[in-house]
Amino acid sequence: MSIEQALQSDIFLTYVAIVAGLLVFAGAVLGTLYLLGKNVSAPARTYRGWLVMIPLVLGAIFLGREATIIGVTLLAIIGFKEFARATGLYNDWWMTSVVYLALGMLAAVSLAPDPRLEQYGWYGFFMALPVFVIAVILLIPILRNRTKGQLQGVSLAILGFIYFGWMFMHLGFLANAPHAYGYLLYLAFAVEINDIAAYTFGKMFGKRKLRDEISPNKTMAGFVGAFGVSMALPWLLWFSFPHFEPLHLILTGIIVGLGGQLGDLVISYIKRDIGIKDMGTTIKGHGGILDRVDSMIFVAPIFFHMARWFHGIA
Amino acid sequence: MQEWEYDPPPDIDESMAETLQNFPREPKMLPYTIRSIASLILRGWMRTYHRLQIEGRENLPDSGSFVLACNHTSHLDTLCMMCAVPLAKIHRTFPAAAADYFFSSLPRSAISAILINALPFDRKAKGAESLAVCAKLLENKGNILVIFPEGTRTTTGEMGRFRSGIGRLVVGTDLAVLPCHLEGGLRAWPKGKMVPRPRKLRLRIGEAQSYGHLEKKSESVRAICRDLEERVGSLGRQHE
Repeated sequence: MSIEQALQSDIFLTYVAIVAGLLVFAGAVLGTLYLLGKNVSAPARTYRGWLVMIPLVLGAIFLGREATIIGVTLLAIIGFKEFARATGLYNDWWMTSVVYLALGMLAAVSLAPDPRLEQYGWYGFFMALPVFVIAVILLIPILRNRTKGQLQGVSLAILGFIYFGWMFMHLGFLANAPHAYGYLLYLAFAVEINDIAAYTFGKMFGKRKLRDEISPNKTMAGFVGAFGVSMALPWLLWFSFPHFEPLHLILTGIIVGLGGQLGDLVISYIKRDIGIKDMGTTIKGHGGILDRVDSMIFVAPIFFHMARWFHGIA
Repeated sequence: MQEWEYDPPPDIDESMAETLQNFPREPKMLPYTIRSIASLILRGWMRTYHRLQIEGRENLPDSGSFVLACNHTSHLDTLCMMCAVPLAKIHRTFPAAAADYFFSSLPRSAISAILINALPFDRKAKGAESLAVCAKLLENKGNILVIFPEGTRTTTGEMGRFRSGIGRLVVGTDLAVLPCHLEGGLRAWPKGKMVPRPRKLRLRIGEAQSYGHLEKKSESVRAICRDLEERVGSLGRQHE
């Protein structure tokens, strides 16, 4: 991945065209509704959020492998910070420092070349890192000779690192793949489409709640509709990964369709348990970073290992 | 299994601009790190560019909360006072800064809150409220309040009259107040200039005063203001 390759990549340019087209279309719809006298302030705020986020994501991918990995790392850092703040782990500077450091390590091994194989991305270290990080987190209470509340702190730090850091940052490691443009752009696009489809189908046909204790907004209809869209999408965007066989397309659909909504539900029950509405206020009209990237957390690592199993990553 | 107790911060739904205006601030790792590094750079800068000389450091109490009351000639005053306290106490040193100026926009609030650790002080409508915030701050042991009792920067070099806030804050309490005098601020950075000039600065810290023996009356408040004004002035005359 580099700027020259991005300019020559049909996949990259096609996605830029698709996304730009969709943005113009959505803007035109919003403008028409506004002129018809409808109240569009809430969707307009969400739309402005997109206008900021999409260029940032496309810009990072355009700039290449390093920018993409650093961008994903920044998202993981902000995401973990939001989680730490919401749970109160934030007050424990030892735990949070170790996790921040570990996220930096994940970025470093994603960027570094493998010392034994001549390729970028130290896969073995990336996969082994949780062992060492969990060990260090578990040692913190011993180092400071304290017991009160330590189990909670250790558990939150491990969950924060594994879930919001390590699992999510598989997305950054994908930038080392030979088909990085297709993988990254497809995942980013499909996960958001999956989210939007769930919302739209839920609004239009939703009656039965999907999990009424966890989220009042998610419905059976939304889930089924989004899953259907996600199953169809790999066939429509087959050009993203021309080397995929039909089986892989079906798996991709299942991973995005199921994983996206599960990630959403996980953040929902975490927020419900803590008793907050949004994870933060980082993106206007969207809530925190975690409220936006939650659907990617399951999708990124499972898609990564599916793609690696069939086609290799480097 | 017992339920865990989470404690999400009260400002979780607030935007960054709102969070920066809040006082007291929650301790946060990133601002603390930035402030520590900035303080180190500031110390080096003041030592070399302004050849800052600090006398009377030994008068700073080792423990407990206290107030530093200084004459106000330029923005450099605050920076000099930040260099006077031990580096370990930088996060517990709060220069009182006019809310209508230092917290009027997002970049200014960010600088004031993160680099300076300023306490937003309302000079106008809610003066009493701001004083209550200061009093509350000083109840906790180990906090340092930096205050400029004149309330604004001098343009002539003459020291202005001390306003009653400092008197009302310390009357009838055991709080230590240290009169301080900074010389050279006006020449180095006059009001209205964009950048400071490399002029020598001299800061003199006086002995700690305490006004616990006085009754909480307006006469005592006036007496305290006069007394401090006199002490700061005489520190200034010692420079010659």
